[in-house]
Amino acid sequence: MKRVVVTGLGMVSSLALNFEESWQQSLSGQCGIKPLQLIEMPGEPVQIAAEVALPPPFHAQNRCAAMAAMALEEALEGSGIDLRQGDPFRRGVFQGAASSGLPSAEAYVSNRLAAQNSHAAPLVRDLSNGITDSLALRLQAWGHRSTLMNACSSSLMAIGQAWALIAQGKLDWALAGGAENICRTTFAGFSCLKAMDTQPCRPFSEDRAGLTLGEGAVHLILEDLDHAKARGANIWAEVCGYGASMDAHHPTAPHPEGDGARRAMVMALEVAQLNAEAIDLVSAHATATPANDGAECLAIQRALGAHAPQISLCASKSQFGHTLAAAGAFGAAMALGALRDQVVSPTLRLEKQDPACNLDCTPLIARERSVRAALVNAFAFGGNNVCLALKRHEGK
Amino acid sequence: MHPFVITGMGCVLPGTENPNPAPTPAQGIYLNSDLSGARCPNLPTTGIIPPLINRRLDRCSRFAWLAARAALLDAGLPVTQLGNRVGMALGTMTGGSEASDAFMTPYLASGVSGASPMLFPNCVAVAISGHLSTAFGITGPSATQLGRENSTLVALEQSLHWLEMEWVDQLLLVGTDALFPLLMEILSRLRLSSRSPEILIGQKKGFLPGEGAQAFVIERPETAMKRNVLAKAKILKLESASSQDSLQDRQEAMIHAASAALKGMQNPKCWISGANGHWMLDEVELPLQEQLKLCDALYPKRAWGEFCGCGGQLLAAAVMNAADRTLITASASSGEQVAMLLGNPKTTNG
Repeated sequence: MKRVVVTGLGMVSSLALNFEESWQQSLSGQCGIKPLQLIEMPGEPVQIAAEVALPPPFHAQNRCAAMAAMALEEALEGSGIDLRQGDPFRRGVFQGAASSGLPSAEAYVSNRLAAQNSHAAPLVRDLSNGITDSLALRLQAWGHRSTLMNACSSSLMAIGQAWALIAQGKLDWALAGGAENICRTTFAGFSCLKAMDTQPCRPFSEDRAGLTLGEGAVHLILEDLDHAKARGANIWAEVCGYGASMDAHHPTAPHPEGDGARRAMVMALEVAQLNAEAIDLVSAHATATPANDGAECLAIQRALGAHAPQISLCASKSQFGHTLAAAGAFGAAMALGALRDQVVSPTLRLEKQDPACNLDCTPLIARERSVRAALVNAFAFGGNNVCLALKRHEGK
Repeated sequence: MHPFVITGMGCVLPGTENPNPAPTPAQGIYLNSDLSGARCPNLPTTGIIPPLINRRLDRCSRFAWLAARAALLDAGLPVTQLGNRVGMALGTMTGGSEASDAFMTPYLASGVSGASPMLFPNCVAVAISGHLSTAFGITGPSATQLGRENSTLVALEQSLHWLEMEWVDQLLLVGTDALFPLLMEILSRLRLSSRSPEILIGQKKGFLPGEGAQAFVIERPETAMKRNVLAKAKILKLESASSQDSLQDRQEAMIHAASAALKGMQNPKCWISGANGHWMLDEVELPLQEQLKLCDALYPKRAWGEFCGCGGQLLAAAVMNAADRTLITASASSGEQVAMLLGNPKTTNG
């Protein structure tokens, strides 16, 4: 098996249009959740979201595609990869599919309801796999392409699949991550499930009342360590493996004891050949729904055992909202920042912690600490759980 | 690639009345071509899917449930509590879309009061794997591929490492798709669907939209041997290549994938083609016969339609034909072009 490292990271978030600013602002306690501006949701009790302010000319395009493309450019530039070098058939693109096609479908259906003519072509053009293709075209990547629809664990599964194919020696490097845009259908859907808080979400809080939707994109360049070393690349961290599981429990609710989540974490540790004691950080899924956070904390305690009280948790959704298909990649970005800078981003608005979340959830203020290795969690509808294991990489 | 074997198959195909592990071979059966698409009849679910759950399933999930159950039984596996040594790879192009239309239309028409919490969870394709996971107690890893016409074979390709790394003992591969009014309207408006009842390859008349599901139990040969089950087919090669967006680039990618699948192998005895009657796919596969000296192709999409499991129908046709060596070429209007070489376990060495 080859060792796999991260050599590029790009991020477009509600806080900033690149990783460095997004990261620094998250460390300083900034929050991207604001009153809704992009969509009108009359009659909905929730009127907030973490929206991205895209600059021209991107603001007029398919938002998902635009954010994905911006994150790609940052990751590619940071990686220093020269696209003229290497075998294009040994490059891959793994993209967590998102709601990218829904705004086009909404426009089409709205026009039909109003008995107006509407173009059907955007419905095909904006399909999720179209973004994967456009990213691959930019990278001249003629190897594996994957468009994962694992809902909220999509982008983390995409990173996991990219890791596997590089580790197996089938690819030299790959772009992996996800992008998500806010749209009326997903907003109305989570609202009718009573899954959203009218206030900015409060992960791990005793009075947490649901999630806040967000949007954005995160892309990583994953690369064979030898390939990265040979070209003198800057290495963010090592991807040691991933674990995945299904709950076999409920279409939308997590297993109450976090059984599937625990198995995904244990599997990630086994695949990564890491002991629980090596882990210093869990970048948690932490949606702030009453059902998720307690079950996740229980799963962490069971997976990491006696070491669980020693780890820190961070909850990226307190800064960026729940970016659905991109959420796992957002969690990975926060873990990569922590591994690089040895500081854990804070969980905002965590004033009164739920006793059921009895772990170090890094309330309110960022904390400097040793971060040697991290787990990243993403859980999804249908009980689809993914956990990624990352490790600090010493030296260039 | 580690050779793997297919030990179970279940199909919900247009023209069949029951999910069946071994329906009629595809060769020469082109019965379902009409302008309303190749549709699956109302399949019996009594005693298979609990009625309260059945009400909540979209048609993609229902097809997938029936096909998966048939495949598991065919492979000699239980249909409950399969546990974490079974993983699931699922491919679809239309999964989640029927529910999205059903959720979105009343919401956009009447606002908050039109939003149904019953429908929303099915709006994402991953919901299908959630239903199957709960139905059969599958708790291993799962990945859902939402791509184009060959999603199911791409899903297999991306999930094979679970078997290769021995994370699971069996992989349940499922392809599923369902037709619904908005989809038919869009296909017609974009002139993708055929305007003729007879689907002809290479005539640029459009394709037959189809629905259905196919499920396969795939495992390592030693695992199958240990369980004392017979293999239906052996997966000898699975190769892919992608390209830029032009037709010529896609043709080259298809040749690249098919050549890699045949490398070091004798020429196939059977060729299952993904051509569907629309020029976008037909012409991608057009150079293959001459360049690779292939026999005449079979075209399962003429009978069962495009989508219809997004490549799952091609794999099903190959398993049914049970030739010594079968090449599957699964072209797509974008993304990866996939080629697969299957062997008959009774006659193929290696």
